[in-house]
Amino acid sequence: MTNPLGTRLDATFKGVELRSGVDGRLAVVVPREAIVPVLTFLKEDGYDYLQLISCVDWIDRGEFELVYLLSFYTEEVVGGDGGKQEVLLKATVPREQASAPTATSVFAIAEPHEREIHELYGIHFEGHPRLTPLFLDRNYEIPPFRKDFDTKQYVADVFDRVPPIDEEG
Amino acid sequence: MRILWFVLSPLMALAVGLFFLGLSRRFMARIQWRVGPPLYQPLIDILRQFTQKSVSHGPLFDLGVVLSLASSFIVVLFMPLGGTAPLSSSGGFLVVLYLMLLGPLGIALSGGEAANPNVSIGISRKLILALGYEVPFLMIVLALMTYYGTISIGEIVAAQRESASAIASFPLVFSGIAYLLILPAMLGVRPFEVVGAAQEISSGPAAEYGGPYLALATIQHGLTMFIGISLFVNLLWGGASNPVVFFLKMLVVFAFGFWVNAAFPRLRVEQAVRYLWRWPTLIAFVGLILVATIGR
Amino acid sequence: MDRNQLMKWIKAPTKMAHKYSLNAVYFCTGCGVIEVPPTITSRWDAERFGVVPTATARQANLFLITGYVSVKTLRAIIRTYEQMPEPKYTVGFGSCTINGGMYWDSYNTINQLDKYIPIDGYIAGCMPRPEAIFVAVTHLWTLIDKDMADGYKRYRKNYAAYRANQEMILGEMEWPPIFQTEVATAITEREG
Repeated sequence: MTNPLGTRLDATFKGVELRSGVDGRLAVVVPREAIVPVLTFLKEDGYDYLQLISCVDWIDRGEFELVYLLSFYTEEVVGGDGGKQEVLLKATVPREQASAPTATSVFAIAEPHEREIHELYGIHFEGHPRLTPLFLDRNYEIPPFRKDFDTKQYVADVFDRVPPIDEEG
Repeated sequence: MRILWFVLSPLMALAVGLFFLGLSRRFMARIQWRVGPPLYQPLIDILRQFTQKSVSHGPLFDLGVVLSLASSFIVVLFMPLGGTAPLSSSGGFLVVLYLMLLGPLGIALSGGEAANPNVSIGISRKLILALGYEVPFLMIVLALMTYYGTISIGEIVAAQRESASAIASFPLVFSGIAYLLILPAMLGVRPFEVVGAAQEISSGPAAEYGGPYLALATIQHGLTMFIGISLFVNLLWGGASNPVVFFLKMLVVFAFGFWVNAAFPRLRVEQAVRYLWRWPTLIAFVGLILVATIGR
Repeated sequence: MDRNQLMKWIKAPTKMAHKYSLNAVYFCTGCGVIEVPPTITSRWDAERFGVVPTATARQANLFLITGYVSVKTLRAIIRTYEQMPEPKYTVGFGSCTINGGMYWDSYNTINQLDKYIPIDGYIAGCMPRPEAIFVAVTHLWTLIDKDMADGYKRYRKNYAAYRANQEMILGEMEWPPIFQTEVATAITEREG
């Protein structure tokens, strides 16, 4: 791998795996514990914009994959190795007792993203200031975005159970 | 004859006020390249509102609307509408100045009882705006009273009938321009529409009105518009010798007001006060100084 | 349109006034509301039929529910509906209000709106065009003429059932029932 940023990341952190992402992005796979240090490193390197935190439920592998997309506010993004490229930071957490360190200490904007992921996937973020519900109004036994959440069954159990109004009675 | 005017002038004010409400909607629609509602749309709305049920938030909620409407009707009685005013005494104008404040005050009392935050914001904006236009308005009034040496609206109209109308005579032209500048604020149309802003504070003081309350508030709005315009016609444009001419003169002033309404965006309340206390106040003050030094 | 027929105004002024002064609540639930701005502005100009949006529920008599309804929105819809003064008319806009539409298997959208509040008419489609709103309005006129736009009466009559359905989805609601059931029955008997 000839990517200068990738080389530096590889030298600084243990267990970092580099993949070439799509659209000239740099994909970095790190262990769960290294999320915050790598984010701090990248922020000091000029990545001041955390575009989003996403989550993928790999139910067959029994793990969630958290995806952090980092970019710049001030500099123009140039794709490809050697340019100013966006970074996809990926980390996996196990599905059982899922928890991950919070990124709010590095990027304040992580707060709503992590709340949303907590609400929809049930991942606990250690040290997050307020993991209260963000959008949802109901309690779900299985968080609704997990792959084992059966929406059709849920709709049949909850919304279709409500009887129509008997107007004649 | 005078008894007849007691009945006629509130009815005329009601009819013309509602006509202006309908005309303003039509006028705005035509400017925006729309067809617009029929002219009698306010009548349909009021009929609909009167037949709807509503909730009351307390005795003051009911009485405030009535107070506001009643004070507007009494102001109309002091106004010569192309003839003699039913209630005209030498101090008529001062009474009108006090009674004109009761209109917004009644709405404020009534809305305060509802304890809706949007209503409170609307009322505070209305009172701040009133503070803005009352300063130049009182200067205009003072200039007119000094110039004609009377505090009766009827005598001011009569004096203008003998010579030129006030807006066409030299020192008073400043007062006339100042009045035109504050007229949109007194009518509550677009640059100064922030009081009843539908999108920000859910129509402000009227937010809790539904059913008959809203109908009364609509009528009150029509009357306020009528009073603002007729005061201009009487004080600065020499009134009229018969109601038809008076109405035509009002129509011209109305068209001016709604041209401003269509052409300008809404001002924030502090921008409105900054404007009102700068140009209209300055021009009204110049007019007052000129009247005081040159005189008649 | 029979707005200019004087005899009808003399015969049934209330009905005519309710027909030609439909004030809709500014309430946007889903994507359907994107069709409302062209409807009320220069392109289609709903104001010529007396249909204007109003800012508060208290001033309105038409409730246009535009699009999918999530559980959280349902709470606000019920509140708004109960605040509107009677007589009031509700129109469900788009297929999402009829049977859930493309959100039929979503974990968070209720599927049939008429289980929770009474609906006087539906506009089918995803999305319905602004013309469909006018079709709905003309249809609502016919319903008002025939005394068939009686959603608010049905709500009063079957309030206990509606409230039970609402509580099934929303759980404990933070406001008390607006009708005591006996009161609702009494009013219904008195006014028909």
